[in-house]
Amino acid sequence: MKLRILLADDHEIVRRGLRALLEKHEGWEVCGEASDGREAIEKALQLRPDVVIVDIGMPSLNGLDTTRQLLQHDPHFKVIVLTITDSDQVIREALDAGARGFVLKSDAARDLVTAVEALQNKRMFFTPRVNDLVLAGFLEKGQTVARNEAPKLPTLTAREREITQLLAEGNSSKEVACLLNLSTKTVETHRSNIMRKLSFHSIRDLVVYAIKNNLIQIEIPPPRTPPMGPTAA
Amino acid sequence: MTIRILLVDDHPVVRHGLKTLLEGRSGWEVIGEASDGAEALEKAKDLNPDVMVLDITMPKMNGLEACRLLRRQAPQLEILFVTQHDSPQMMREALDAGARGYVVKSNAARDLLAAVEAVSQHRVFTALNGRDAAGLR
Repeated sequence: MKLRILLADDHEIVRRGLRALLEKHEGWEVCGEASDGREAIEKALQLRPDVVIVDIGMPSLNGLDTTRQLLQHDPHFKVIVLTITDSDQVIREALDAGARGFVLKSDAARDLVTAVEALQNKRMFFTPRVNDLVLAGFLEKGQTVARNEAPKLPTLTAREREITQLLAEGNSSKEVACLLNLSTKTVETHRSNIMRKLSFHSIRDLVVYAIKNNLIQIEIPPPRTPPMGPTAA
Repeated sequence: MTIRILLVDDHPVVRHGLKTLLEGRSGWEVIGEASDGAEALEKAKDLNPDVMVLDITMPKMNGLEACRLLRRQAPQLEILFVTQHDSPQMMREALDAGARGYVVKSNAARDLLAAVEAVSQHRVFTALNGRDAAGLR
């Protein structure tokens, strides 16, 4: 029987590349694709894939919250997260969300097949950096609280995180309500609770929070360089 | 019509996706790949492609710098940016650097073939997200 894989990434060109890569492997098939987290959950529940590959930086519902929600629906889902960064925070959140595999997008051509094979064999797959971090965490266990750790902000509920992402992406309360099938009043109540919990006063604060906490990802443009003159080298 | 294309992006998976799309067109050939701007300059010199599909954010040398240098090194080469940056300012900068086309990565599957066709015929092709694939001139 074929191993069935669901791919979730907002870039069709990336999905196309991943599909070509995975389908070269005998006995594997990509049974579905999704372009955001919500669609990924819907398709996963409908198609029951053996492995779900989710990009972290997806619009509407990011890959970490997608992983959390999928595993709440059914803890048997096996999820590999694809990420552009392996910062400590992203690694911790991916592990906390329940991902069984963690692959850097830049290394996907090399690591993704190995990661899917690992999950197929009931193992996990992490990059060497994740392994180092897990080991460091294990060795430090029992010690006092990490020294330079920033004070933690109050935790948001899953619904509040969803709404925070959608607001930070520029949606109005009405648009969020429409996307989540809620009333505008309910969304506004959540919005007030979020702002109060985090002691924020503006949507700008919320956007910064969403970026810092990987709810949304932004691509930083390269530094501006003046165009070269006709005699420049 | 035969078009020889050089693909430049630091993510092999993205190059793979672009390649499968481009090679679906009869007569179009991906003759090489590069993962940063410096490698793009070298490969352009060696392979002499008709069109370069170029990312902006890359290590070592970004696409804009590479584009400016390529304009001098290979004036006949047409450059099409395929980038994450969905911004009119960045698009302006890319065209000022000497590119003939600009496509946003999230729409590449929709716009890429038309864009390569246009720039290979020395026509401008620009399309940002939420805007029509217009700008042909």
